[in-house]
Amino acid sequence: MAVIGGAETPARKAKWALLDVVVVVYALVPVLWIVSLSFKTKGTITDGNFVPREWTLDNYQEIFTTTEFVRALVNSIGIALIATLIAVVLGTMAAYAVARLDFPGKRALIGVSLLIAMFPQVSLVSPLFDIERALGLFDTWPGLILPYITFALPLAIYTLSAFFREIPWELEKAAKMDGATPAQAFLKVIAPLAAPGVFTTAILVFIFAWNDFLFAISLTSTERARTVPAALSFFTGASQFEDPTGTISAAAVVITIPIIVFVLFFQRRIVAGLTSGAVKG
Amino acid sequence: MECPARRGRRRGALLGVALLAAPALAACGAQDSGPPTINLYHAPEQNLQTVVDDCNREAAGRYRIVYHKLPRDADGQREQLVRRLAARDTELDVLGLDTTWTAEFAEAGWIREWTGETKAAAARDVLPGPLESARWHGKVYAVTKNTNVQLLWYRSDLVDQPPRTWSEMIQVAQRLAEQGKPSAILITGAQYEGLVVNYNNLVASAGGRIVSEDGTRAVVDDGAVRALRVLKDFATSGVTNPALENHKEDGVRLAFQAGDGAFQINWPFVHPATKAGNPDVFRNMKWARLPGVDPGQPGRATIGGANYAISSYSRHPGEAFEAALCLRNPEHQKFSAVKDGVPPTIESVYDEPEIAEAYPMKETIREELKDAALRPVTPAYQNVSTVLSTLLSPPSAIDPERTAARMRTELQDALESKGVLP
Amino acid sequence: MSIVRTPSAAEEARGRTGRKPSAGKRAERRLAWLLCAPAALVMVAVTGYPIAYSVWLSLQRYDLRFPAQREFVGLQNYVIVLSNQYWWQAFWVTVGLTVVTVAVELVLGMALAMIMHRALVGRGLVRTVTLVPYGIVTVVAAFSWRFAWSPNTGYLAETFAQGEAPLTDRFASLAIIALAEVWKTTPFMALLLMAGLALVPDELLRAAAMDGANAWQRFTKVMIPVMKPAILVALLFRTLDAFRIFDNIFVLTGGAQGTSSVSILTYNNLIRGLNLGIGATMSVLIFLAVAVIAFVFIKVFGTAAPGSDREGRR
Repeated sequence: MAVIGGAETPARKAKWALLDVVVVVYALVPVLWIVSLSFKTKGTITDGNFVPREWTLDNYQEIFTTTEFVRALVNSIGIALIATLIAVVLGTMAAYAVARLDFPGKRALIGVSLLIAMFPQVSLVSPLFDIERALGLFDTWPGLILPYITFALPLAIYTLSAFFREIPWELEKAAKMDGATPAQAFLKVIAPLAAPGVFTTAILVFIFAWNDFLFAISLTSTERARTVPAALSFFTGASQFEDPTGTISAAAVVITIPIIVFVLFFQRRIVAGLTSGAVKG
Repeated sequence: MECPARRGRRRGALLGVALLAAPALAACGAQDSGPPTINLYHAPEQNLQTVVDDCNREAAGRYRIVYHKLPRDADGQREQLVRRLAARDTELDVLGLDTTWTAEFAEAGWIREWTGETKAAAARDVLPGPLESARWHGKVYAVTKNTNVQLLWYRSDLVDQPPRTWSEMIQVAQRLAEQGKPSAILITGAQYEGLVVNYNNLVASAGGRIVSEDGTRAVVDDGAVRALRVLKDFATSGVTNPALENHKEDGVRLAFQAGDGAFQINWPFVHPATKAGNPDVFRNMKWARLPGVDPGQPGRATIGGANYAISSYSRHPGEAFEAALCLRNPEHQKFSAVKDGVPPTIESVYDEPEIAEAYPMKETIREELKDAALRPVTPAYQNVSTVLSTLLSPPSAIDPERTAARMRTELQDALESKGVLP
Repeated sequence: MSIVRTPSAAEEARGRTGRKPSAGKRAERRLAWLLCAPAALVMVAVTGYPIAYSVWLSLQRYDLRFPAQREFVGLQNYVIVLSNQYWWQAFWVTVGLTVVTVAVELVLGMALAMIMHRALVGRGLVRTVTLVPYGIVTVVAAFSWRFAWSPNTGYLAETFAQGEAPLTDRFASLAIIALAEVWKTTPFMALLLMAGLALVPDELLRAAAMDGANAWQRFTKVMIPVMKPAILVALLFRTLDAFRIFDNIFVLTGGAQGTSSVSILTYNNLIRGLNLGIGATMSVLIFLAVAVIAFVFIKVFGTAAPGSDREGRR
C-alpha cells in the first residue's frame, strides 16, 4: 500500500503481478462459469463441469438469429448511452452548484435527491406506468431514459459534488494569474481534476441503466424499447418448465462486452489527477 | 394504449422536445386501415406463432392476430397483464391465463363472460377437469387452451410395479436405499407453487379440502391434515434428495436424469427431455398414475395448463372470441401438443395418431384428467399459494396439527386480503 | 490536516459582501439555480407523483382484486405490518445481510481500490476486470450461482459440498446470498474509493513518510481524511441498495429457509398479492428505515456530506 515513489524493481513488479492474478481470479471465476455454460451443449450443460466437455456455438447462433435479442441489444446500447450522457451533464451542473456555490434550496435539492434514491422502486413502477401511458411514453426509448436519468441523478450529484469539493479550485485562479484565459484555465487545470469523478459517475450510471430489469420489464411491451435484461425473460426453453440456461448465458456474455468496452474506454481517465506526475513518472 | 397523434420527428435543441419527439408508433400506423388487430398475450411458446399465422390465414382478412410474448415465469405474466388491465388498457384482446387465475380476473371484471354460441363452442368435447378451470361462480370466463397433469415416473430397472400409495412408495424407496441402489423420491419441494401442487395432489387424494367450495372460508379439514402427515412422513423417512427444499421442475428432472432417484413426480415434459438428456435412464423410465393416500384410492392430480380469455376492455370482442377459438381448435391443439409439449384439452385430439406417437403416456394422462383436482378456486388464489408454500416449507418441519391450525388462521386472512402475506 | 485550501467561491462571496446579498451574491444564486433546475425538474417530474401516491396508498385499505372494499384507514396498515412476525423476521434478515455485506465490501473494496490505483503492472487490466462483476446482469449472475451451488449441475456444490444442498440450509443459504451480493457489488465500492484515492496528493504522502509516518499511519491520517466524502457516498449508496436486496434472494432461495428480505415481502404483498395498501406501507417503512441509516451516516461523517454548512472544509 502506498509506498511512495519506490523504484519499479522486478521484485515489486512480481508482487503486483501476483496481486493482479488474485484480483482477476476473484472477479472472473464466476463469470467464466457463465461463459462455460454458454458454450456447453444442451446435453452437457447440467454436468457440473467447470470446463465444457463438448463445445458448441449453438447458443450464440440461436440468440443472433432472432430479432428478439439483436433489437434488445440496440435498445440497450442506445438507451444506456443517452441516459448516461444526460444524467452526467445534468448531474455535473447541479453538483458544481452544490459544491461551489451558496444558494438557498441547496439542502432541499440534496434532501430530495436522497429521498428519490431511498424510495423502493418497486412501488413506484405502477404509478409511473400510468403516467407514461397517459403521455404516450410507454414502450418508447424516452419512457426508459427518463426514469434512468431520474434514478441515476442522486448518485451522480452525490458522487460529483464529493469530488468537486476536493478539487483545489485556487489552481484555476493561479492559472489565470499566469496569463491563462478562463477557458484555458478551466480546460487545462480544472477539467483534468474533475475527470476522475465525472468518468467514475459515467461508468456507474451506464452500468445502472444497462442492468436495470424492473423498469425495463414494466415500462415496455414490445421489441421497440425492450432492453436486454428484460428480453432475457422472454427466451423460450424446450418446454414450459425447462430454463433456456444456454441461451441466457450466451446473452449475458454478449451484453457484458459493451460494459467492458465502456469501462476500458473510461477507466484510463480515472487517473490520479493530482498525482499523475508523481506516480506515473 | 391510445395512439398518440403523430408528431414530427424534428429534433429540437431542447432536451424535452428531443425526448418527446420519438414516439412515432409504427404499430399505430398499421391500424389506420385494414382488418382489426387482435392482440394476443401469452407466455413464450416456441411454435405458437405458426398457429397464429394459420389462424390469420383462416380469418381471410376479418382480423389479424399479433402474438405478444409475456415473460417466461407465471408471476411475471400475471404482473404485466394485471398492471395493464387495471389501467383499462384497450390494446389487450386475447389473454393467455394460467388455470388458477380465472376467478381472480373474472371477479375483478377484467375478462368477459362467454355466452350463447361461443360458450357452447368453448365447451364442445372438452375434458371435464380442464373445463372446470375456466369457470367461476357457474359462469364460463375462458376457453381451454392446453392442460397438464403430473405423473409418477419410475425406473423399471429398480422397481417392478409402480406403487399405489405413498406409504408403499416410501417403503420401496427405503428398501432400495438399504440395497445401496438409487432410491430417492424426487418432488418439487422448493418454496413455490410446485410445492403447493404436490400438497394439493395429496389433499385431493385424501378426499380433503383446503378452502370451501365458494372460496370464502379456510377449511383445512381432516383430509388436508392427513395430507400434511404424508408430506411430513415422506420428508423425514430418508428417501428424499438433499436438494428437496430447493428443487423445482427442472431440478427434479435433472436429478432423475442423472440417475439420482428411483421415482419422480413431474409433468410430461420430462419424457422428451430425458430422452434427449440421458438415453440410458430413459430406457427404463416408466410412468403411472400418481400414488394415493389411502389403499384402493388412486392418487388425484392437480390440473395445470392455460386458458384463453377475452379482455373486458377489448375493442374487438367479436373477433377476439373467434380468434381465441381458432387458436385452440382441435387441429391447433394437436399441433401445439406435438410441437410444444402442451397436452390437449379436447378429448378427441387424444385419438389422433400423432398424439399417440408424441405422448406414449396419453392414456394415463387421460385417466388422471377424468378425476383431476383443481387448486382452491378463489379470486385470492395467489395469496393462498403464498401462504401455503411458506407454511409447507420445509416439509420436514411440518407439525400436522399445528401447521393445520396456522393454515386455518393465515389462509382466512389471505382469502379476505387482510394482514401481511409472508 | 494541513492541506492548503482556499475559501470556496461561496465563502469568498460572503467575505466580500458581509450580510446583505450583493449583486454578486444574487448572480451566484441565479447561476446555482440555473445549474440545478434541470436535474431538480427531471427528478421531481418523474418521481413526485409516484412517491406521493405511494404514501397516500399506504393510508388505505386497497386490494386491486376487491376494489369495492377500498377505504381510508389512517395508520392501520402500519399497525398491521409492524405487529407482524413475518415483517420483523424479514427486517432482521435484511439488517443482518446489510451490515455484513456492506462491511465486507468496504474492506474488500478498499483493498481493490488500492490495487486498481497503485498497480505497477496491468493496471488497466485490473481496473477493467474488477468492474466486470458489477456489469453482469444481476439476475443472470444470481441464476449462475444457484446453478453452481445445486447438486449435480454445479461446480461449487461438487467441490465444496458433495452430496449436500447448501441452498436448503438457512445459514448456508444466507452465506451464499451474502457471497453473491458481495461479489456483485464490491466493484461499485472499489470504483468510488479508487476515484477518491485519486484525490490524495502524493506530495502529502511523501511528506508524511518523511516525517516518519508508517504505512498504516499514512493510510489513516492522510488518505482517509481526504477520501472521506468518497467513502461517505460509497457507503451511503451501497447501504441504501443493500437494504433493498431482492434479486439474489429471489433467484437463490425465493425467500425459503427464513431468508426473506423486506423487499421480497413487499414484492409478495404488492405485486403478487396485489394488496396496494399493505405493499405501499411496506415501501414507506423501508424508506423510513433507509432514511434513518442515511441520517446516521451523514451525522457520523458530518461535514463530508454535500450541502453541509462548513462547505469545502475538512
